[in-house]
Amino acid sequence: MTNGIWVVFKKEMSHFFGDKRLFFTSVIMPGLLIYVLYTIMGSYMSSMIKEETESFKTAAVNMPQTVELALLEYNFEIEHIDRNDIEKAKQGISDGDYAIVAVFPDDFETALSNYTPDESNGSVPNVEIYYKSVNSNSSIAYMDLVSVLDAMEDQLNNVFDVNNNENSDITYDLATKQDATGNTIGMLLPMLLMTLMYSSCASLAPESIAGEKERGTICALLITPVPRSHIIMGKLASLSLMALMGGVSSFLGIILSMPSLMSSMNMAGASDLISADVYRPSDYIWLMVLIITTVLLMVTLISILSTLAHSVKEAGTLVMPLMMAVMLSSFASMGMSSGEVPTAAYLIPLYGTSASFSGIFTFSMNPLCVLLNVCSNVVLSGIGVFVLTKLFNNEKVMFNG
Amino acid sequence: MNNEIIKVDNISKSFNLSAKQRKARKISEKTITAVDHISFSAYEGEIFGLLGPNGAGKTTTLRILATILKPDSGNAYINGKSVVDAPFDVRRQIGFLTSEVKMEEFFTPDQLFGFFSEMHGIPEEKCEERKNALFELFGIDKFAQTKVADLSTGMKQKVSLVIAVAHDPKVVIFDEPTNGLDVIMAKVVTDFLLELRRQGKTIIISTHIFSLIEKLCDRVGIINNGKMVVCDSLSKLTEKESLEELFFRLYEGGEVS
Repeated sequence: MTNGIWVVFKKEMSHFFGDKRLFFTSVIMPGLLIYVLYTIMGSYMSSMIKEETESFKTAAVNMPQTVELALLEYNFEIEHIDRNDIEKAKQGISDGDYAIVAVFPDDFETALSNYTPDESNGSVPNVEIYYKSVNSNSSIAYMDLVSVLDAMEDQLNNVFDVNNNENSDITYDLATKQDATGNTIGMLLPMLLMTLMYSSCASLAPESIAGEKERGTICALLITPVPRSHIIMGKLASLSLMALMGGVSSFLGIILSMPSLMSSMNMAGASDLISADVYRPSDYIWLMVLIITTVLLMVTLISILSTLAHSVKEAGTLVMPLMMAVMLSSFASMGMSSGEVPTAAYLIPLYGTSASFSGIFTFSMNPLCVLLNVCSNVVLSGIGVFVLTKLFNNEKVMFNG
Repeated sequence: MNNEIIKVDNISKSFNLSAKQRKARKISEKTITAVDHISFSAYEGEIFGLLGPNGAGKTTTLRILATILKPDSGNAYINGKSVVDAPFDVRRQIGFLTSEVKMEEFFTPDQLFGFFSEMHGIPEEKCEERKNALFELFGIDKFAQTKVADLSTGMKQKVSLVIAVAHDPKVVIFDEPTNGLDVIMAKVVTDFLLELRRQGKTIIISTHIFSLIEKLCDRVGIINNGKMVVCDSLSKLTEKESLEELFFRLYEGGEVS
């Protein structure tokens, strides 16, 4: 009767692939949703950035040529107006004719040229900038003009420069492609992976065990001569495979929507050093081993809670603390390099996995620590199977006896 | 007398009651004895009926025989195999059917029959042969490829019966076989049980319907408050009075409360 595991596995998989709705909601939908959501997010971010690069129509009174030249870089369109037209121009901001109105004092340039750093606090020229904070175009134009004016003010006081070596080939940012990728991916992906894996497991396991209990179909299974441990292993193997498929689908959704997200990030000035090709094949192998063992552990834990529940709804409530544990573990190890996590901590389920993911993504992985976590996942899953067998043999749990 | 196939030897079973259950039953005891030192036997090729009111302990007794529950004390044997010590050997020899056992609605009768045959380790060829014979006998072949979800209640009942005996068990345990069925389906079930007896199977049923016992059973055990009140062949029990008269005489005499 050793093929009991295989028979149960086959049955569960045939249900999974045969039930179009279940397959769609568990495998196709997560990836599709993520792809659509992230692509829309990317497009939205791009459109926001595009909006920022639109020209800023500015009504200016007495704007010095030096300021006007500096503003060219920021896409300002300057329209010189007379001091008498200020009120009309201010109304123009509300009407959308101007982004801002900048009013410089008549003697602004003279005041600047006469300025000496050791001059005591006397009266200084005041530049008035009118803008509308609720209008993004006006608000950005205001910030850009203020930063240009601040830079001018700093130049008057210039005592030293930082990294002012524009004509040389010196690169001051020593971050490599690997560093930049590790930093960005290491912050985001471990948590994302943990959440996606958990979601996949939590959407399937309660239905397979608590659902069967609720519908009364588990009784027929338990009065067959197949050992209950085999029934459990068959269920866990099939659930793990289904959850992995759901996880892969979500992962593909992320990868496929990445170009849209990345292009919007690059437009926003993020590092263009980020690239997935800096990871070695061995990193991917470690990732795969970690994902498989973690999914197995998550499925086992959710199955234990589902066995204790009388219905799918109750199982959903019981697994909530586990979701919190997944989230907390992911937060706690966010962006951590391997050296920051004590070796023994890799034995802690979920936290150790999240730390291992961070280690792999930040290129600071200690193979021994990751191996420790993989072993911990496998051993804990084994203990979970033992606990599940005990629960399946408990008449009170299975039959409310 | 034929071979003793089912032997129930002094079994007892109690359940803990939650505060909610105690309140509902209006009792203060924390445990309830569902089966109290029951013993009886059933022999090859006979139908044994457990008769009693609701809550008498019939279902618990059958669940112990089906290895779903373990007795607190005593033992029960199916064809010499102990339900406590050799549950896997017992499960190979029994077909258990109750209203609590449901079928997965996603699958077709054909798939379910194949699945449960595999779970019992039946070779594919033998499974196919038995499936064809049983499906034809019950007219299931017409809807063998239709999902259980799309079948009528009567069709589902037929499929349940057939799947319970997919592995050709020596013993069939049937809890309340006609409970909730219309007259047509009830006849299908009783005919099926008679056919199984004709094939030499040993059948044990539980019911509170006198006519069903009179129609089907060779031997009867009247059970109440977890105790076996009387157990003998139907012919002996009904020598001087009908089964119903016997039951209520015992009831009025205080033996069946």
